[in-house]
Amino acid sequence: MNYWVQRLTASVMLLLAVSMLTFGAMNLLGDPLFNILGPAAADTKPESLEKVAAAKELYHLDRPLPERYVRWLGDMVTGDFGVQFGSTGQPPVSNLIAERFPRSLTLIVMAQLLASMIAIPWALITAARANRPADRVSTINSFLLIAMPNFALAVILKYIFGIKLGWFPLTFKATDPWLTRIYQTFLPALTIALPAAAVYQRLLRTDLITTLQEDFILMARSKGVSRRRVLLRHALRPSLFSFITVFGINTGALIGGSLIVESIFRIPGLGSAIVEAILREDFPIVLAIVMIITTAFVLVNVVVDIVYTLIDPRVKR
Amino acid sequence: MSGLQTEGRVDTGRILTVESLSTTFATERGPVRAVDDVSLTLDRGQSLGIVGESGSGKTVLSRSIMGLLPSTARREGSIRFGDQELLGPGAPDMSRLWGREMSMVFQNPMVSLNPVMRIGEQIAEPLRIHLGMSRRDARSTAIRLLRDVRIPEPERRINQYPHELSGGMRQRVMISIALACGPSLLFADEPTTALDVTVQAQILDLIAEQRAERNMSVILVTHDLGVVAGHTDVIAVMYGGRLVETAPTATLFADMRMPYTEALLASIPRLDQPSHTRLTTIPGRPPELIDPPPGCPFAPRCAYARDRCREERPPLSPTQDPTHSYACWFPVGSPEYLETREQLAAGLTIGGRP
Amino acid sequence: MTDTIEKRLGTLFWVAVGWLAVISLLAIFAPLLPIKDPDAYYLVKGVRPPYSPSGTHWFGTDQDARDMFARTIYGARVSLVIGFVAIAFGMLVGGTAGIIAGYLRGRTDKLISFIFIVFLSFPSLVLAILITALLDRGLVTIALTLGVLAVAPVGRLARASTLSFAEREFVTAARAIGAGDRRIIIRELLPNVVVPMGALALLGMAVAIVAEGGLAFLGLSVEKGPTWGKLILFGAGSRELEKSPWIAFGPIIILFITVLALNYAGDRIRSYFDVKEIGL
Repeated sequence: MNYWVQRLTASVMLLLAVSMLTFGAMNLLGDPLFNILGPAAADTKPESLEKVAAAKELYHLDRPLPERYVRWLGDMVTGDFGVQFGSTGQPPVSNLIAERFPRSLTLIVMAQLLASMIAIPWALITAARANRPADRVSTINSFLLIAMPNFALAVILKYIFGIKLGWFPLTFKATDPWLTRIYQTFLPALTIALPAAAVYQRLLRTDLITTLQEDFILMARSKGVSRRRVLLRHALRPSLFSFITVFGINTGALIGGSLIVESIFRIPGLGSAIVEAILREDFPIVLAIVMIITTAFVLVNVVVDIVYTLIDPRVKR
Repeated sequence: MSGLQTEGRVDTGRILTVESLSTTFATERGPVRAVDDVSLTLDRGQSLGIVGESGSGKTVLSRSIMGLLPSTARREGSIRFGDQELLGPGAPDMSRLWGREMSMVFQNPMVSLNPVMRIGEQIAEPLRIHLGMSRRDARSTAIRLLRDVRIPEPERRINQYPHELSGGMRQRVMISIALACGPSLLFADEPTTALDVTVQAQILDLIAEQRAERNMSVILVTHDLGVVAGHTDVIAVMYGGRLVETAPTATLFADMRMPYTEALLASIPRLDQPSHTRLTTIPGRPPELIDPPPGCPFAPRCAYARDRCREERPPLSPTQDPTHSYACWFPVGSPEYLETREQLAAGLTIGGRP
Repeated sequence: MTDTIEKRLGTLFWVAVGWLAVISLLAIFAPLLPIKDPDAYYLVKGVRPPYSPSGTHWFGTDQDARDMFARTIYGARVSLVIGFVAIAFGMLVGGTAGIIAGYLRGRTDKLISFIFIVFLSFPSLVLAILITALLDRGLVTIALTLGVLAVAPVGRLARASTLSFAEREFVTAARAIGAGDRRIIIRELLPNVVVPMGALALLGMAVAIVAEGGLAFLGLSVEKGPTWGKLILFGAGSRELEKSPWIAFGPIIILFITVLALNYAGDRIRSYFDVKEIGL
């Protein structure tokens, strides 16, 4: 119990620190007034000055930084992410988030699914043929995949599948039906999935090879269990732990890490939203998305820990 | 009990004939001959004990007969199970025999049972694979098997994991798994070494009981002569990968010939000795198997060794009793042996030096 | 001695190091080399660019008839510098902080570790984008931004390394002779911690170079001059890929081989010294 309380406190402190960092960075390095009002902010005409004064009051811009921070924090905790600075009409940030979040989620889920579907059979095959030619080739492939930068991989995949083979469309419409959108998400998901699969496979293969040396594997063989069944039924489960841990942590990391892929493939998700927002210096959006990403990351890590204790019968609850 | 006709099933008579079996491992430092020219036979219902120190090759022997070796191992010779030759071309797929006609009980049940699989599932597995039982039938058979090996509350135990059971119970579970399909040959590889002394006797008795009930043959591998004393019909003593003496149990204890066997017997602590009696150990260590020197493998450590022992390897030859064979130039009771005995008693070594 | 090290590290390792040396030299001496001008337009009358690879233009030209080979070499200048500065900064600041934290333990350690964790939990790319978008996009800014991001991972490794070494006998022995903290850190710990850090430096450089590429793809890399990321970006449009894939693929190949070489070299150093550790 003690452990979980500690974890919780640490996580909260972490989130606070991150929020302070972001809030500080945005306010100190940029100019909020400019973003709300545009060029009018520097104007000295009476109407502009009025607007400036009004804006200052509305957004508490004349108050000291720490006070603004606390206000913002209070709002955020109650779910009020504020309004989008740069947009006309200044709709609430939560609208944007509600709109963009599902797209990012689809991408991440698809990517992780693909990665697992590739990694697990790959690991099983290479572990069963450890150190033989097929395995050695696979190790080289893994290494290459992991070293390849994601944007380069995106370009390569786009070239192969989008242009040469023509399997996937290169332009999307926002009004496309749901199924088409899944189809469109495939290539970007693959871009994320391939290097991830290589990492997962490496981990899983190592653990499988270790497990296969264990006595209970020999025992299972002595019962007449076929090699294939031993691999799938006996060796796989105890070997999954490292893989699951990394899988979980990676899910958290992907929430903030799919930025580039989203931008390259023009997927309207949270990642591309935050990039656009930063370029426009639209603070509330940036702050909100950063907090969401980081909270998700921390949360996912905690969940991974919980799941770990649940699935390993040897670990005491 | 399991009145099923299966391939390879032997109901009476000779069940196992091993002829000149050798097992060599390919290692980085060269080929290692872990089993060297071993021959033995076993009848249905008979119990054979294979005895030796660690490193003598006894475990490798049992696994060689069964065929449970890594791919770096090469076997030569002949192994006949029933009327099937298990080595060479025409050898059957061993997975069909394992768990069904021959099975093995391993030394350390904690690491030999799958830690993340329930007990019931592990017992049911061979039943479903070999006998094609349904889930329900396998489950009830598993409960029955647990009862046979005297595990209380089998219905509850079925759903537990290995770490929830005590060492002795885990070994019983192992035995029940091995017995599940009613094999005709059971290998027990140091079945009691990892257990408490009090539990050891129970396990051995359990094996003996099941053996009698099922008319099953047992090969019991151990380093402890005390274990085989009461539970085997025939004993084979191994050293350096070779058989150095084999005889029916009673004959071996009454009339042992090989000095190594004598030394083994002497090293067993006895209850009737006064406390704090120094234990007799055999000095030295088991031999290197990579480049074995000529002669008897035990010569470097044998108190009775002479020059011939180091130069010429003694063959396994029978006494007047054809069931008793040994490999020694100067066995127990021979004139040279007695001579050395006197010298040792007088504090002198061979050659008359102190 | 060199012979045994060579055998253990492997010939491929030296091939990788060789590549890195070659690409670095090419980058450093680019203005002196007999290659084309990266900013000049090599238009051929009557033929519309981009021109495919040929004897005159080894990597072909881009849409404005600029020689891709030259541009890639000049791109190396920027990308490699960014990578180097970033990781150097990271090692200097992060390494020092990590070693101090690992050696002193207690409250200092808790504080420094917390700072590390905060930075590690922060989506790093977002931070990089934040800073580059809000400040300027000069070479120094970007390099230092990536350097700041490198501090936490490097620091964490330095700390872990220090922790494991600080328990060893030779440190206790040094202390027994009466050596002061500073002396111990510099003479005993630093030489040992440098090794895993060296491996990390190579790997980190690869990450920094890739990060620059990522920033380029978001339009946030340096404003002036070619970088590998920018070059690939310019060649990655659908039309370019279809008609003239060499624009993107020339830089992609060079980038990939360099990153591969860095990864491989770093990996080999790490496993070589790990093996030695076990041998201890």
